[in-house]
Amino acid sequence: MKGNRKQVWGLLAPTLILIIFIGVIPVIYILYLSVFKYNVFSKIGMVYTGFNNFRKLMFDPDFLKSLRLGLSYVILCVAIELPLGLAFANLLTYEYKGKGIFRTIMTLPLAMAPISIGAIWVLMTNPDFGPLAVYLRNVGIDFNIGNNGTQAYIATILMDVWHWTPFVTLTFMAGLSSLPRQPFEAALVDGANKSQTLRYITLPLLKPILLTTLFIRVMDTFRVFDEVWMLTSGGPGTATRYVSIHVVRQVLQSMNYGYSSAMSLFLLYLTIVICWLLLTFINVSQESG
Amino acid sequence: MKKVIVLLAIFIVLAFTVVAFAQTMVTNPDWWKKAAEPYKGVTIKGISESTPPSRAMMEVAGPQFEELTGIKVEFEVTSWDEMYNKTIQDMQTGSGIYDFVYVEQDIIYAYLAQNWLTNLTPFVGNTAITNPDFDLPDFTSFIENFKDSKGDLYAVPFEAFLKSYVYRTDLFGDPEIQAAYKAKYNKDLAVPTTWEDYTNIAQFFTEYGKEKGIELYGHIAQAKTHPCVAYEMCETIWPAWGIYNWGINLEKMRASKANGGTLDSDQAKAAFKWYVDMLKWAPPGVKTYTWDETAATFGAGKIAQGLIYLENLGWWSDPAKSEVAGKIGVALPPVVPQAMEDAKSGKGYIGYYDGGALGIPHSSKNKEAAWLFAQWVARKEWQGEFAKLGTRVVRKSTFDDPIVKDLDPKMGNYFTFLKDEGPLFRGAPPLPMHRPLNELYLKWVAKAVAGEVSPEDALDNLAKEVDALMEELGY
Repeated sequence: MKGNRKQVWGLLAPTLILIIFIGVIPVIYILYLSVFKYNVFSKIGMVYTGFNNFRKLMFDPDFLKSLRLGLSYVILCVAIELPLGLAFANLLTYEYKGKGIFRTIMTLPLAMAPISIGAIWVLMTNPDFGPLAVYLRNVGIDFNIGNNGTQAYIATILMDVWHWTPFVTLTFMAGLSSLPRQPFEAALVDGANKSQTLRYITLPLLKPILLTTLFIRVMDTFRVFDEVWMLTSGGPGTATRYVSIHVVRQVLQSMNYGYSSAMSLFLLYLTIVICWLLLTFINVSQESG
Repeated sequence: MKKVIVLLAIFIVLAFTVVAFAQTMVTNPDWWKKAAEPYKGVTIKGISESTPPSRAMMEVAGPQFEELTGIKVEFEVTSWDEMYNKTIQDMQTGSGIYDFVYVEQDIIYAYLAQNWLTNLTPFVGNTAITNPDFDLPDFTSFIENFKDSKGDLYAVPFEAFLKSYVYRTDLFGDPEIQAAYKAKYNKDLAVPTTWEDYTNIAQFFTEYGKEKGIELYGHIAQAKTHPCVAYEMCETIWPAWGIYNWGINLEKMRASKANGGTLDSDQAKAAFKWYVDMLKWAPPGVKTYTWDETAATFGAGKIAQGLIYLENLGWWSDPAKSEVAGKIGVALPPVVPQAMEDAKSGKGYIGYYDGGALGIPHSSKNKEAAWLFAQWVARKEWQGEFAKLGTRVVRKSTFDDPIVKDLDPKMGNYFTFLKDEGPLFRGAPPLPMHRPLNELYLKWVAKAVAGEVSPEDALDNLAKEVDALMEELGY
């Protein structure tokens, strides 16, 4: 047993060392930085300020606005992607001509790097020659993401939906294919129509998959960066300056290491709380199910 | 027999060309080989922004240096943001990844304040590793930007260019257009010297394009929510309106009027309001343009006039790449009278003299080899060719180079313009906190450009925040 334990630790060691170096040590360093006023270009150097950076966060209108924007972005993206993904997954359970082509085209964005997705959308939405802007202009809609903050905000949401709905679809497809057949057969015998089957059989059975997908998408969307950075860089003005972009600008442009460390920790805390709430919800639903 | 003679003739011509080329490229190869001997086999790694001069260094100078000296050059050419992020992280952590880095004129003060660069003056005095033809006094006054207060050199310039007024000579010289302009404004269509004239010409060409159903606009700007929009105000617009040094009083290090600055002055507000208003005469996508799109749109022949970085003249003058080759004029930007007086007396300046140099990070492990490469890039015999590839001049002698003299008329006499009018332009002010300042300027300039706040309110807030930042940073 003792020898076995040694072997287990030996096998775990490489992973643990990696986690310590790329996870634990950076978090400790950020914790340390967060209690200092520290800008690389400061003449004063590092000044210990206790929890002042965290207090400042609560009264920083730029940070609070970016947080609001970030959260609304998460809610809207997830609210569109989940039903759409479920609809596509449902569509792909049927047999019809061209299903293979549809599935291939639909999953293509998933294979692309976020930065490429951003570049594609830059070209698609370019107000001078982008197809999306030109077609919309032809039908009387002046679509200009450089000029109109709301349109830029919508464009970033559409981009995320375009990129990540296939992931949701694939997850739901896996879930649908693993559901037991008996409840559906019983529903058929009882004369339930399609919407009743969806509401009373499919969705309750899919609940764990649904919540897990929600969990993953909330986390991913909250830390969105590459695509939005490429498409709008957070603009026009501050219209798409989501919290992740705000933090990166504070670190790389302002070089405000102390304050941005506090921001990062607060976001980590917020993410953990959201995860914990979702996890609790999943556990409760599984127990009640 | 005839075939053999022809082939022989071609061979002789080619051989002479290769020899001539090699002679042009390096006048004293033996010195380079001897100086590089101790570093043969060493790999030096560098990073720069993807600009035409940097690409010329990577594609031409690097391989030639490697072939002659045996010192391997790994040159990373990337986006402006990425270049800064990587460079600063390397120098700050002292990781020693890079042996030479791009030091843009405006960031040098930040790097010097942090002691991130190697003092090159001791290298200059070391004859074993300094080319006898290096000739420091031959560099233009632009090199002064890369010296500290004691006069020690910290980087070797390789690019220098102006941001000034460019216009389409074919459009300005078109009799039909001239007549239409005269009929509308009762004035001849000519290079504008005042902002009012510039505004009229901008409006005229945008409306002309609309009337004729062609894609033509009278104005262009780099107005994306990106550091470039803040730079455009600080470097180009405000100086020509008589607001210098980003509106900051460099003695007091404060920006607000109350503390001796000019950032929230009426003149600064008028200039900013003009900038925001003028965007209506630019292409619809102007608020998605950075410096790259601005140059590309001018090169595509869609713009009649604008204030653009003139390092682009190289490719604009190439008919294979540009729609405006042979149709470009270069002139001074419109200015308020006070700005020109200040520029002539040295009190102010009318626009931006941009450029960069190669510096050696304090953490480099191959400083001597990197120093040799920096000299290789700046060697006199290559400067004409380098000017052709990158539209840049850093040595006085380059203005007399036959290649540059031949190129000059094709580029709207830009090189003569650079030589004669260069002193009216200036680089960024000595602000060691340049990067966080730019972020602050970006925030408020972008908010006003997007219409979230008025230009006046934006500058009131910006001036206050600049003062607060300066205080926080210990200035």
